[in-house]
Amino acid sequence: MRRLLIVSAALTTLICVSRASGEDFEVSIHHVELQDPGLKAKVGDTITFVNHAGIAHNLYLTYEDGQIETLDTQPPRTSKRTVLKQAGHVVVRCWIHPIIRMELDVAAK
Amino acid sequence: MKPLLPLRSLIAIALSCGFSVAPIRGGSAVAVEDPAQQSLHELKDQFRRPAHVPFPKANPPTPAKVALGKALFFDPRLSRSESISCATCHNPSLGWSDGLPRAVGFGMVSLPRRTPSIRNLAWGAAFQWDGRADSLEAQARMPIAAPDEMNMPMDAVVERLKGVPGYAALFREAFGDDEPITARNVTAALATFQRTLVSGEAPFDRWISGEESAIEPDAKRGFAVFTGKAGCAACHSGWRFTDDSFHDIGLKAGEDLGRGKFAPPGVIAMQNAFKTPSLRDLQIRGPYMHDGQIDSLDAVLDHYAKGGEKRPSLSFEMKSFELSERERRDLVAFLRTLQAEPVSVTLPQLP
Repeated sequence: MRRLLIVSAALTTLICVSRASGEDFEVSIHHVELQDPGLKAKVGDTITFVNHAGIAHNLYLTYEDGQIETLDTQPPRTSKRTVLKQAGHVVVRCWIHPIIRMELDVAAK
Repeated sequence: MKPLLPLRSLIAIALSCGFSVAPIRGGSAVAVEDPAQQSLHELKDQFRRPAHVPFPKANPPTPAKVALGKALFFDPRLSRSESISCATCHNPSLGWSDGLPRAVGFGMVSLPRRTPSIRNLAWGAAFQWDGRADSLEAQARMPIAAPDEMNMPMDAVVERLKGVPGYAALFREAFGDDEPITARNVTAALATFQRTLVSGEAPFDRWISGEESAIEPDAKRGFAVFTGKAGCAACHSGWRFTDDSFHDIGLKAGEDLGRGKFAPPGVIAMQNAFKTPSLRDLQIRGPYMHDGQIDSLDAVLDHYAKGGEKRPSLSFEMKSFELSERERRDLVAFLRTLQAEPVSVTLPQLP
């Protein structure tokens, strides 16, 4: 019984840590399209972009104040991760392929 | 489930074999597609022409707006010297370009880049060799106002057009405002006219539509090389044969950083990166590349086969490959099938 309580306490702590550090979202890239899962994201959440395309990409996020975060070149079958830093409207684009575009509204923490 | 053979092999087999015939119960037979044919059909679908030209909701087309845009496009009074029109460089007799390795601008000064063709821009995602314009409307004012091109600020264009009898009526017909001659309407009309410039139907299009005899076997093999081992279709994709992407393809680099001038310095991939041009109606005689540095199609193929100069910004898509003489001929035969009969252009009577 004591062991069960300890395990329960540890699990509760893990979940709290996970929630405190934000949720994780995954967005797939297929050729020149971002598969928008309709994110409900907030500051501190993590988005992982997984490149399922046969070509490289170079994504960047533009925050509402104009700040740009570039995720570097992303060859096929690789992932890039970003933690959302500001609340507001965010546009995700690709330096290589301007046709790629995804928009999301990031809530405050 | 993955195919047992690489796609390029499947396509090559499909191109040489055609349909297979499979028996069914009852003794009769029907034509069924083998997996290779199915892959080929899916691939061909990616190159099918769209049925309609897209226009933005913010700038819908009308015949009056197209006519006005055409007049403006051919009118040299849009330049400071009154001697350079848009059509001076984008000459319809030269495939809406000028046939020169590099454009010639204001004062007959040679510019650093080649004049791109302006066909099929209605589908464009980024404009100019470096993509600094995100719409045709934004692009239209750039060469007019650039000091080394037409060298005419837009407010000066407006003033000059207001002084030309006949333009007021054309603008009113196109836009219907009380004061219709504005910089915004000039660029809206130019953009609308440019969206009407669409490549004609080429033999390749007829093949895509199912007319097997529209292109020769060598061109079909060339299509297999293009979409297969040569990897051209990684960027020259879709019916326009471009995805409007930006790459450093390892050309001899000069001072022109291309898109790298506008991207943050840390975006290494954009250094020396320029827009992927369409291959439709390719001027077989050249020149090629953003600055006309390659003057023959053979030399272009050599460049891609070698994979370009190795440097940190070199595109991930640039990989060397072997190309036999026959494959080289097949590729050129295929590229020729992207040429449509030239469309006749009636020059406008300027007001």
